[in-house]
Amino acid sequence: MNLNCRAVSWKSITVAFVIGVSALTLPLFAESNRSGAGRWDVAVEEVDGGGVRLAPEFQVAIYENLVDELVKTRQFSRVLRTGDRALNDDPALLRLKTTVESYTPGSETKRAVTTVAGATKLKVRAQLCTSDGKVVFETVVDGNVRFFGGNLRATHNLARNVASRIKLLALPEPTPSTIESQ
Amino acid sequence: MRYQIALFKTARETLRCLMPICFAAALMSQDGIQVHARVVLGFQGIANNATGDLSIEGDALVFQTSAGPSARIPVGSIRGVSLSQEDKEVGGTPMAFTRAATPFGGGRVIGLFGHKKYDFLTLEYLDSNGGFHGTICQLNKGQGQVLGTALQAKGVHLTGLNDETGKAGNGGEK
Repeated sequence: MNLNCRAVSWKSITVAFVIGVSALTLPLFAESNRSGAGRWDVAVEEVDGGGVRLAPEFQVAIYENLVDELVKTRQFSRVLRTGDRALNDDPALLRLKTTVESYTPGSETKRAVTTVAGATKLKVRAQLCTSDGKVVFETVVDGNVRFFGGNLRATHNLARNVASRIKLLALPEPTPSTIESQ
Repeated sequence: MRYQIALFKTARETLRCLMPICFAAALMSQDGIQVHARVVLGFQGIANNATGDLSIEGDALVFQTSAGPSARIPVGSIRGVSLSQEDKEVGGTPMAFTRAATPFGGGRVIGLFGHKKYDFLTLEYLDSNGGFHGTICQLNKGQGQVLGTALQAKGVHLTGLNDETGKAGNGGEK
């Protein structure tokens, strides 16, 4: 009985130790991954319709949601908007270009009545470029609303997906040579 | 007698037709147009989904929330306005839960009737630093055109609803 208690207590101490060590080291790893990205600024450019007949409110909603979601990631030291005067004298700047690849307009009423029809679907190509046009990162992301919520929720889902992809990105340090080339 | 009745009826019909026109003209002639609106997103200094009154005061578009704080966008900084119309479910989350909980497919029937048409006003404007902003406001049906026309009178480029280019707002697949 006594031996059993001792074994349990050792087990719990080991588990607690492992959890404690991982809790202490994981944020350090995360910080080291982010250290390069944290020095960059990002400028969100206006959404390019890419020949798709996209409703203006969708274009604006994608842009605004992208700005919000990128701020939430804390991946960049500043999230700037296109046209901002601060862009002119920024040496470590990345530009986020978004081009719509496809858009299927949905209907909230159709979704409510049929459940299976009326989905709003969006697909965009997101590119992170340096000021001289070199593409650092490129991805194609979807944003859909299938069951609940308004049509504009697709833009929120899309922006969240783009931000989560960018969050996983290990960007290089903006070295003086990188800055000079810009 | 018959002639008098016919005359009275004609006058009544004419008045009925003229009343909305006079009302709209009166709204447009005065500077202070005020419509109830919900800011869906993007109005600088206002939380998303805030409700309040959207008005034109002098050379600025002002949003006054029901809670108190207000924000203004100078008309000169507005790059463009577009109008569109969309069906939205009414009742929000409680209605969605009620629909889901209603047995024998009753929720679908509720969904069929529980929706309303709204006008959406999309504004593209620049802030004091030159940064591009976009805001979307949800208005009751018909009010978007009134506000849009008033902004157009102040020199803002307007697309949508009455304009042919606004039909792009209905969307399409590539």
